[in-house]
Amino acid sequence: MFELYFLLGLLLVGYVVGQILERSHYRSIEKREAEHIGLATTSSKRPIGEIPRPTRVELVEGACVISIDYFKRFVAGLRQLFGGNVRSYETLVDRARREAVLRLKEQCSAADQVINLRIETSSISKGNRNQVGCIEVHAYATAIYF
Amino acid sequence: MKYQPGLPEKNDNVSHEHPVREFFVLVAGTVAILVGILLVAGLFVDRAVEYIDPELEASIFARFVSGDLADQTAEEQELQALVDQLGACIDVGYPVRVSVTESGELNAYAMPGGQVVVLSAMLDRFETENALAFVLAHELGHFKNRDHLRAMGRSTVWLAVSVLLTGANSDISALLTPVFSVEAATYSRSRESAADALALHALNCHYGHVGGATDFFELLAESDPKRRNLTHYFSSHPDAQTRIRDLQALAESQGYASR
Repeated sequence: MFELYFLLGLLLVGYVVGQILERSHYRSIEKREAEHIGLATTSSKRPIGEIPRPTRVELVEGACVISIDYFKRFVAGLRQLFGGNVRSYETLVDRARREAVLRLKEQCSAADQVINLRIETSSISKGNRNQVGCIEVHAYATAIYF
Repeated sequence: MKYQPGLPEKNDNVSHEHPVREFFVLVAGTVAILVGILLVAGLFVDRAVEYIDPELEASIFARFVSGDLADQTAEEQELQALVDQLGACIDVGYPVRVSVTESGELNAYAMPGGQVVVLSAMLDRFETENALAFVLAHELGHFKNRDHLRAMGRSTVWLAVSVLLTGANSDISALLTPVFSVEAATYSRSRESAADALALHALNCHYGHVGGATDFFELLAESDPKRRNLTHYFSSHPDAQTRIRDLQALAESQGYASR
């Protein structure tokens, strides 16, 4: 029985803390996305529209590593038995991608355009058993200053 | 083409279903599948037990048995004689040995391989031979019903299922272990009741009446604190009052004399 209570305790702590952190992260992401909305960012290889000759062009990148909480990992483990959308991992990937792009934009907030945006995702835990899932998202792009 | 900045109105990349709901749906599904597997496997185990003859059972459990008839104390020899007489009423199929262990606890055990261990407090506290005979017959009932084989078969199935389904030592098996504990305890209580019924029959067959059958449980009921909340579901034995009631009802329905 002790094992079960211990597990339920971990799940509860994981859930409560995980939710609090996730909500505050989403608030921060949405606020910063609104702040940087003026910086045109595309995955196109060429700048958008008619532009003057650039004065400066540079490589910019943003990366972040985010971990999943105990509760979500547990739900994902149960999900493996039945198959289907691993919903509990969706916010992990979503947050990491948006955070990486934001960090990239924050690096070049004076730029006029960001082009050729690429995003790479890699798993840090590499599917090891009994390890909390955690991913790195790396965004890189070219910043152009007119 | 003009670049128009904008943020999406809603996030379609994440599900908006409540995670706790998903958790409960998945747990309920897993528990339901597990209970189904255990019930079906239990039926197979019961069927398989019928095909294992007493000699094979004795050889499976041979390593658990210790001691020799020649080493028995006078007290143990007396109990052995009683067991041998009761054996005429419950034929176990292989020899049963009795030993006494010093302990203040009120209990007796049927060890796999045909050994009955009686704790010494039983000999001190019982006033009649009939009370002791009932306990011994109850243990013989476990041998007769092959309860060790059934329990062993079930735990083997559980081990296989939990390893295959969730991997050894995983958190999910920690969550599922109580499911098995409750299932195993429920099954164990039914085996205890079955052994009680056989013991009652043996008592009547040996003495011609069932006086003293409930003495042991009455002693237990005195010292047994009332069970509360969930512990009842995890308990391997029915509580003493229930067993007394069941025995009285059975004695009445079978028309056994009480003295």
